[in-house]
Amino acid sequence: MNLALKDTLHAPTRFALTALGVAFLVMAVIGMIGLYRGIVEDALLIIDRIDADLWVVQGERAGPFAEGSAVAADMDRRVEGVPGVADVRRFTQFSQQFSFAGAPHRATVTGVDVPRDDGRWLSLAEGRWLGGSRYEAVADGSTGLKVGDRIQLARDVYTVVGLTRHMVDSAGDGLLFVGINDAAVIARRRTSEEIHLARAAGTGTSAVSADASSVAQDSKISAVLVRLDPAADPARVIAVIQRWGDVRVMTTGEQRDLMLNARLWKLRLQILTFTGMILVITAIVVSLIVYTMTIEKLHEIALLKLMGARESVVVRLIGQQAALIGIAGYALAVVLAWMIFPLFPRRVVMLPPDLAQIALVLALVCAAAAWVGIVRASQVEAREVLS
Amino acid sequence: MSGPSVLSVRSLTRHYATGAGPVRALDGVSLDVAAGELVGIFGPSGSGKSTFLMLAGLLENPTSGEVWLAGQRVSHAGADLDALREIRRRRIGFVFQKANLIPFLSAVENVALALEIADVAPADARAHGRRLLAALDLAHRAESLPARLSGGEQQRVAVVRALANAPPLILADEPTAALDRVRGRQVMEIFRRIAAAHGTAVVVITHDPRSTDLFDRIVHFEDGRMCAGKVEQD
Repeated sequence: MNLALKDTLHAPTRFALTALGVAFLVMAVIGMIGLYRGIVEDALLIIDRIDADLWVVQGERAGPFAEGSAVAADMDRRVEGVPGVADVRRFTQFSQQFSFAGAPHRATVTGVDVPRDDGRWLSLAEGRWLGGSRYEAVADGSTGLKVGDRIQLARDVYTVVGLTRHMVDSAGDGLLFVGINDAAVIARRRTSEEIHLARAAGTGTSAVSADASSVAQDSKISAVLVRLDPAADPARVIAVIQRWGDVRVMTTGEQRDLMLNARLWKLRLQILTFTGMILVITAIVVSLIVYTMTIEKLHEIALLKLMGARESVVVRLIGQQAALIGIAGYALAVVLAWMIFPLFPRRVVMLPPDLAQIALVLALVCAAAAWVGIVRASQVEAREVLS
Repeated sequence: MSGPSVLSVRSLTRHYATGAGPVRALDGVSLDVAAGELVGIFGPSGSGKSTFLMLAGLLENPTSGEVWLAGQRVSHAGADLDALREIRRRRIGFVFQKANLIPFLSAVENVALALEIADVAPADARAHGRRLLAALDLAHRAESLPARLSGGEQQRVAVVRALANAPPLILADEPTAALDRVRGRQVMEIFRRIAAAHGTAVVVITHDPRSTDLFDRIVHFEDGRMCAGKVEQD
């Protein structure tokens, strides 16, 4: 006879509410870890998938994901001539506000070097990749745009020709891919008054000011992406390019490290701290639930001992009840997470290894809670039935 | 005494330390209960009746003296109470003032539990539980939870549970205190039948004078001592 199951079925509503409480706590843990995974995945999306071996960025700077970066507009042609370089692509990325259907929208414009960039590194959910013509865009579904939509960016109207899924930047803004020349135009947008003021300021200036950069300041190219020949020595290529002095060359690994350990470090730390806190709270609450259930059954435990039940009967009663709470809470949490998290504005990534680890932690919490209950139950004496 | 001795206690003493000094809850009690005998223990509150049940039921160790079951010394001052669990499981059935049924088990499950604890297979335990309940006219209540049973029915289920393992000794502490006269009498008659039919030694601690005619023997306790006893034959 399974006493734990009998007791559970005797008060199903109470058990369901208890399991639901545990489920919400576990779901919060799943959510925090999933949010962390989502932010990291989103942040590394371009770096990992754009299929570049090297990033040539502005000199003494850390590249477009860390700070402003602008390289000369002809940098791609200079890099292309370096021995060991297989191909190059220009790249830029910046945030952009735009209006669509009367509402303000926000996207991260990502300039890609079409037709050299054939878009094979991303998967389209709908439509097609950018063709050779101007004023086309591929948007992520999170921007709210659909294939065929027309949006105004700077002074021009762009047609959405393709859609991606789950392609956002580290802030969660959907990516909007346009040709690199279009991106430069969008980035260069200025009001008429700005242009007048700039011309007026330039009048009479005969010499380049002392702090002027060698890089043309109107360049909107953030970086040049380099793919190496399979036989090329990356260190040698990097050394050649860096010798120019006006650029810095970063590997994909360095870009990842920069993104995770510099730009996202505080956010990651905060999320992980919250995850730890929720885990501790979950452990305390589950322990209290199991302990309270044990305390409520002390009379029955004393009766079992009076009837001569072995200690293992009492251990099974408490242990199985803790396991039932844990299993039901975990299963409910996973189901709720699958139902609720897709509705969240940021992506919550639920990876099987993470779910397995959470299950393991919950099992340990339940085991520890059961152990506390069992220790208390072991102190119960049979004669307490008479008290 | 008609049959062989099932329970023998020898010079049983139990002292408790209190703030006001030691209390002699039981003071040198010796008693034998034979198979098939129904013994009533009477006495005022604080006379040591319940302490006697604790010691005879192997729930507590005596300060001095011994408890013997079927000729085997089982408890003494230094006995390991935990090790006596096995003896309780096989040889002693308990009935209390409150039925003490497990609230989340049906009547038949409460009975079957006592058997499963003694390693009887669940199906067999349940079947035997049903037979025992039927014997006490509780077949129709077998699947009822304790909360759905009347006080008398609960107490009868508790008696059935005590009987389940066919223990040679049943110890009952005020089993009729919470019942009306009719139901109290019914429970005492059940004890009488059990003693007669199964040869079970039954010791009933009670204040209730209404069923004294059913006892084979009545023992009086006062101030922790067995002060007088008499045999009442039907």
